[in-house]
Amino acid sequence: MAEKILEDKGLVIRHSLVELIEHWAIALSGLILVVTGFFQMPTANRYYIASIPGLAWSGDFFTTLKMHYVASVIFVVAAFFHVVFHGMRGEKGLMPKKGDMKTSIAVIKSFFGKGEEPPFHKYLPEQRLAYAGMAVIIVLLILSGLVKTYKNIYAPDMSLAVVLTATWVHNIAFILFFLAFFAHMAAIILKPNRPMIRAIFTGAVRLDYARHRHPLWMAELEGKAETTTEQQTPLVSADAEDAEEDTANTQAMQTTQEETPAGTEAATPGETMTKEDQINLERK
Amino acid sequence: MKKQNVANISRRSFFKVTAGLAAASGITALPKNVHAAAPGSFATLIDLSLCDGCPDRGMPACVSACKAINKDKIPPISDPIPKPWPRDKMIEDWSKKKDVFNRLTPYNYIYVQKAEVDINGQKETIHIPRRCMHCDNPACATICPFSANHKMKNSAVVIDQDLCFGGAKCRTVCPWGIPQRQSGVGIYLHVLPDYMGNGVMYKCDLCHERLEAGRLPGCVEACPRKALLIGPREEIYALAEERVKQMNGFIYGKTENGGTATLYVSPVSFDLIDQSLKKKPGEPDMKVRIERRMAKSDNRGRAVLAAPVIGMAAGAVGALKWLSDRKEKTAGGDSDNG
Repeated sequence: MAEKILEDKGLVIRHSLVELIEHWAIALSGLILVVTGFFQMPTANRYYIASIPGLAWSGDFFTTLKMHYVASVIFVVAAFFHVVFHGMRGEKGLMPKKGDMKTSIAVIKSFFGKGEEPPFHKYLPEQRLAYAGMAVIIVLLILSGLVKTYKNIYAPDMSLAVVLTATWVHNIAFILFFLAFFAHMAAIILKPNRPMIRAIFTGAVRLDYARHRHPLWMAELEGKAETTTEQQTPLVSADAEDAEEDTANTQAMQTTQEETPAGTEAATPGETMTKEDQINLERK
Repeated sequence: MKKQNVANISRRSFFKVTAGLAAASGITALPKNVHAAAPGSFATLIDLSLCDGCPDRGMPACVSACKAINKDKIPPISDPIPKPWPRDKMIEDWSKKKDVFNRLTPYNYIYVQKAEVDINGQKETIHIPRRCMHCDNPACATICPFSANHKMKNSAVVIDQDLCFGGAKCRTVCPWGIPQRQSGVGIYLHVLPDYMGNGVMYKCDLCHERLEAGRLPGCVEACPRKALLIGPREEIYALAEERVKQMNGFIYGKTENGGTATLYVSPVSFDLIDQSLKKKPGEPDMKVRIERRMAKSDNRGRAVLAAPVIGMAAGAVGALKWLSDRKEKTAGGDSDNG
């Protein structure tokens, strides 16, 4: 359904619409949860945050709790949907594999010019590890949050040991979630990873990028089905792309080329795909 | 079981007290049904028709008993007290005013409030022992970010001074503003004293430890007029209703803030009493029909509890649809690479 090579558009669909919705549901509700969770500590009034016009709500614990609940509904539904939906479909592309830790270190070294990047599958080994790490954090947050919610409504006098455990698991996982979010942002700022950014907005990455950096994934796609040139309904058509983003991607691509030892076959398609070509594509 | 024993012992001492009261005041007969008591959960009755504020004493008996029990509770205060950035004036230091007993302070968990009420053109003074109400679903405890404040099975709402950062969130959400802050003490001194927390919140803990040991709270034990009583919740609720009926009076704390473990009974209406009170720091008013503000978020909370089921159901429906679509396609000779 999702992954598909669109040769004529020079794109590969990397994420389905469902996956994009899952990601953004978790991301946006997660951000609201971080902010409203932070305001559960008496910080907004002390630090004059509530004095900023438009932020008066931040100082009202009952309001921020309501917001926290609403965002939780989205967050928890998305998380459980994710597990069941992809679990039943047998999609395990993000599950860590043996040797991911070692490969990740090699990849990170390559970002700093030491050694070369190994060929990737759909996901980088560090993406798989980050996924597992984030999954653990989210599981801790959700389980402890559910206990706290139940306590708030039905059982304020539940066992103190249970409440204290849930509270501290929630608080520590909150810090980890925050750190993981920053690590996530740091990872996409790295130049070699930037061509992937568009995928989380549009669902697609550039074909030349994928061929160059994710040859194992492409081999699988090309082996499974014939490259399709027929008009599919991509999530966002090439026309809708931001010109700025294109420039950034092209630059990123060029940098990637420079960093990768020249002469490898995988590098060739990248050279052929210039911004001009893209514009030509769009004109069609 | 320890808890069972505690409840039994406490129930027995309760009956001793109420029996004494029944004999002394002749106001009420002791409820006879011993077995009907809810296990482990207590409530307090404060009878305003009995409390006279101990005019013959320098300090009301309940207050001095409470002070004596808690006199060594707060450890020495850090000198100097760290200034809470960026609000230097937020320091609340009662360590040099430990003797204050005409309001709630970190060193004073009960005080006798005076309400000047006009009854048929006659001024009358009502004496009201004020302390934590030990609410049934106390926001002060449930939304403490560190769970330093907790509702116990025996109904006491207890702040753990070793876990409290003194952010005073509990005081903000308490309809009566009961917990009081002492700066310069507590765990925050060892974390980020200038930037996070500002001491420890203190309030009545219903003599939680004494209750556990089968003893009465200090205030209840000390009251010479038996204006304060403690016992199994159902018994106290029944007793309160009975007294209200007898005095053709009013009850407070039964529905306020979603229900509490403290029932005031009074021959004078609490509306009238509240009108004569002015809410000040450490001096709560007596507004009637106070709603539990957190109740407004309960439905959203229930949605959170339902969210796992909703998510799993949606995931299963989506995946099953995909599986059946794929089956159809495979049957039609097409394959899907999703």
